[in-house]
Amino acid sequence: MKLTVNGVQHTIGAAPLTPLLHVLREELGITSPKAGCQQGGCGSCTVLVGGAPRRACLLPIAALDGAEVTTVEGLGTAEALSPIQAAFHEHYAAQCGFCTSGMVIAAHGYLEGGGSSERESIQKALAGHVCRCTGYVKIIDAVEAAAGGEVVANQRWLPQPGEEAPVEIPGAPA
Amino acid sequence: MKAVGARLPRYDGVAHVTGRTTYVDDVRVPGTLWTKALRSPVDHADITGLDLSKAEKMKGVQAVITWKDVPLLEYGHLSALGIPADEPLLAKENVRYKGQPIALVAAEDEETAQAAVEAIGLDLDEKPALFDVRKAFDADAPKVHDWGNWYPHFEGEMDRRQIRKGSIDEAFEQADLIVQGVYRPAAIEHVPIETQVCQVVPEADGRLTIYSCTQALYFSMGVVAAHLQLPLNKLKFVGGTVGGGFGGKVDTATETMCSLLALKSGRPVKWRWTREEEFLCSSTRAPWHMEIADAVTTDGWILGRKMLTLHDSGAYARFSPYGLTKHSFHHTGAYTIPHLEFDGYVVFTNRVPTTAMRGFGVTSVSFAAETHMSRIALELGLDPFEIRMKNANRKGDTSPNGIAYTDPSTIPTIQAVADELGHELSADYRTATSEPRTGEWLPEHLVGQLGDPEGH
Repeated sequence: MKLTVNGVQHTIGAAPLTPLLHVLREELGITSPKAGCQQGGCGSCTVLVGGAPRRACLLPIAALDGAEVTTVEGLGTAEALSPIQAAFHEHYAAQCGFCTSGMVIAAHGYLEGGGSSERESIQKALAGHVCRCTGYVKIIDAVEAAAGGEVVANQRWLPQPGEEAPVEIPGAPA
Repeated sequence: MKAVGARLPRYDGVAHVTGRTTYVDDVRVPGTLWTKALRSPVDHADITGLDLSKAEKMKGVQAVITWKDVPLLEYGHLSALGIPADEPLLAKENVRYKGQPIALVAAEDEETAQAAVEAIGLDLDEKPALFDVRKAFDADAPKVHDWGNWYPHFEGEMDRRQIRKGSIDEAFEQADLIVQGVYRPAAIEHVPIETQVCQVVPEADGRLTIYSCTQALYFSMGVVAAHLQLPLNKLKFVGGTVGGGFGGKVDTATETMCSLLALKSGRPVKWRWTREEEFLCSSTRAPWHMEIADAVTTDGWILGRKMLTLHDSGAYARFSPYGLTKHSFHHTGAYTIPHLEFDGYVVFTNRVPTTAMRGFGVTSVSFAAETHMSRIALELGLDPFEIRMKNANRKGDTSPNGIAYTDPSTIPTIQAVADELGHELSADYRTATSEPRTGEWLPEHLVGQLGDPEGH
């Protein structure tokens, strides 16, 4: 069967009931989706299938012939973060980072689907994603900012070529 | 001071949001074996038979380990601090909690490892189990531990953490009222989204590379070296990337057993707990049983506190004696009480061993002490803010263990809380500070009880 992941087509030979999560992590080496519970309860394995958020741990590969899958690896890069990635970074929405891939990809799907910046609507979109570090407030802040079109000049936070790290800190007292 | 007050980027933020952070489960080592554990299916039993023969012969099984494979079977988490060892790495003669590991299998894949675990013959002679710390002291209570049902090795071989300060009898004689309360916060599972996970690689030079999700890298290194009886230079720990810990990854849960499997099989080994294992077998925050009786005056001074704490340690000691010690030092909360009688016990039950979690030992007593302050205020009909500020720690007040406070922050904290909540404080309390007690803030019962505000 064929599976397109982040724009690259793969031929998959795994047994039909193999979960998509296993194929991504163990066969394709795409490790951003995490095996947090493997029973659909935590959201850390979430990927987009045809643009819709799905729990990769519960999806048998047989149901996905010809499908298009997007993971966080398919969004922005470290040098050019996507708006939702930049917002998560800017708003400290990632702490230990383990749930972040699932959160970011679900939020990306929400924004691509025209999701609003209403906090209640964001909460609904991210319901079922468990985070034990943040208390969710900063995650919702980040999605709200991205949905509201906030442009984040996050690249300033990365040492640029030729620049000594750490970079100058915005807002720091002299 | 460029950093203070500035919004600093997280050093790992970009890696997190791009999915490029490498957690232990993301490490890829060719030829890695998968691990599964045979765990006790019951709360308390003697092990009367363990038959590995079928499991060891299964195709794809590369190593099976039991207690016989561990060079030093018992090494306590706090052995290095003089707290004796009590917990075998793998169960030997008995099991004391449901989920206790008995044997581990490393096999070519997860399914084979699980099938081999199920092929191990295990005979148990089940015994009555103890779950209620209050029943641990009964003559007919199930016997949980070789040491008895409570930890007997505090300094001087005392069987409790004890604090005596001032004259508790005097305080209770002078009291207008005795206010009592019982507080019982429950166990809490940490639920990190990353379950316990470890990858060990036996290197060609004889060393072991250990990818660990521990919160305490050098601590875990010492624990593994002790169990394996290897010098530290044979262990290369790779860590620092933790998918949530909250105290639950202070215990060295996987590294030693994975190392033994890697040494026995000569292959890289990985062990990732399922969510079920994480819930059922990983350590939790302890349940606590706390009884407080305070000698108080009608105008809101607390003259003395009697307190009994039963700290549910689960089946083994781990960090509990340390947690209870912290607890005892904080048992007056942020307040000064001159006459104290505190007795705390680390009680063993047939629960999963308990461990650190955010404010280990102190969170429980803060809950009890603060609830009790509000209860006193309610019983006396006084303002719960003002009764707190009256008894609040000030410079020169002394802690339960006799240390003089040099920079207590109780009073400004309560003032700030009152401001946030829009709670009106009377003039005396609005202008109160943490400066050493004088005048109306120095009642008779505190005279002669003060330490040096400049330190001891």
